[in-house]
Amino acid sequence: MAALGTATADLNASMKSWRLWTLLGWIEIRQRYARSKLGPFWLTISMGVVIGAIGLVFGALLGQEMNTYLPMLSIGMVAWTLLSTIINEGCNAYINSAQYIRQVHTPRLIYLLQAMWRNFIIFLHNFVIVLIVLAIYGVKTWQTVPLFLPGLIVLLLNSVWMAMVVGLLSARFRDLPQIVMAFMQMMYFVTPIMFAASALKKHEWLVTFNPFAYLIDLVRQPLLGEWPSLQTWGTALGMTVAGWLLALVLTGRYHKRIPYWL
Amino acid sequence: MTSTSITLEHVGLDLPIFDVSGQSLKKRVLRAGRRNRIAEDNEGVVIVRALDDVSFRLEAGDRLGLIGANGAGKSTLLRVMAGIYPPTAGTVRTQGKTVPLLDLALGMDDHSTGRQNIRLRGLLLGMSDKEIRAKTEEIAEFTELNDYLDLPLRTYSTGMRVRLAFAVSTAVDAQILLLDEVLGVGDARFQERARERLEGLHRRAEIVVIALHSNEAIRKACNKALWLDRGKLMAFGNTGEVTAAYETYMAQA
Repeated sequence: MAALGTATADLNASMKSWRLWTLLGWIEIRQRYARSKLGPFWLTISMGVVIGAIGLVFGALLGQEMNTYLPMLSIGMVAWTLLSTIINEGCNAYINSAQYIRQVHTPRLIYLLQAMWRNFIIFLHNFVIVLIVLAIYGVKTWQTVPLFLPGLIVLLLNSVWMAMVVGLLSARFRDLPQIVMAFMQMMYFVTPIMFAASALKKHEWLVTFNPFAYLIDLVRQPLLGEWPSLQTWGTALGMTVAGWLLALVLTGRYHKRIPYWL
Repeated sequence: MTSTSITLEHVGLDLPIFDVSGQSLKKRVLRAGRRNRIAEDNEGVVIVRALDDVSFRLEAGDRLGLIGANGAGKSTLLRVMAGIYPPTAGTVRTQGKTVPLLDLALGMDDHSTGRQNIRLRGLLLGMSDKEIRAKTEEIAEFTELNDYLDLPLRTYSTGMRVRLAFAVSTAVDAQILLLDEVLGVGDARFQERARERLEGLHRRAEIVVIALHSNEAIRKACNKALWLDRGKLMAFGNTGEVTAAYETYMAQA
């Protein structure tokens, strides 16, 4: 319980210094794209190209209609990129901020929120693709669209707790970022992004037991004019609560050790 | 609200030094299979006792100088007081806003302008948004960088960077100020102004702890001194006595 207290106190303090982590997140994006005219929109362009290519090849392979396949693919890809980059970069959140952690006394979770913020900004750039695709193929029904927002929030909350866990463990065990990256790469192929879950037929367990599939569905279905099922919501919310508890307890338990590990 | 103070009781700090393999998960997993003596001896984590049973108390008005050879634990002690390293033994209690100024240039961003860097550095030092806005002009004036402040930092010379970093860091309002080796800053004229500014900073803070190599400077600036040797507290008290004891000891060694 003491661990939980330490972690929530840190989380509180971290939220209060939002000015710092949003600024640090921005600066990182600016550094990455310094003096490039299009800046982060280069990511948008490259993702657009990838989505176009996959759409063409897989659409043909799977015999899909473009007007249903492309919206599904683009929303899935953009949402997956947000989720997976927060987790992958979360691994290095503490490691890359070692300088800061050893020199100034700030709350520790700001470095994770910084990674979240940075990737959220990139997500907003990538989201242009979704808007274009939806503008071309149209939105089936507007009724479900408002559900996109709570879905996105749940996806973000889940990616943050996952990043908290891997970030903490990566500070101690430096092989973990590689393992996580390989794992996320695999999950990218297993999660229904490039294909519809129904196409798996007798291997549907790949989706049923895949936590990421629920998170992607929560964001994707509302934009495709479908209602996420109660089971999807229930699983995702349950994961949010259990995950945050785990992440907070772990963070609290090893909070003191972080500067020693870096 | 109690008055500003720092109390350290039997503080010990063990720093684990992870070698490359000690920090690897692979090594952990491989080790799990073998439960013999050698494996245990091969822990791979070396522990350095950086501080050993250090106790003292500072109150409002105290100016403490830390002395000791390189590697005696001065910087570590500053970090413990700043709350960066939680001690592995004993307790540290601080009353009052504590600001460590260990690395002045930390967090300066090359692609941001001077003004943006003032804001960034200010936030890192724990200043509020309002405080930063109120102080920006005063900081800008002190740096004498004028129009350069609107150019990105990468166009600055080393001296200009140091001036900016110094100006922001010393604008902070702290009740407890922790300083590591105040650096020689800029050209001669700037040095003079830097000294004045540091004195102003010292006056605003209620407790100042400073790690210095020069006993002369410590006698001038501090009323108390603490002598560390390999993590152990050798002497703590009146500046004159402690520096004298330190000098005799060094002469014998």
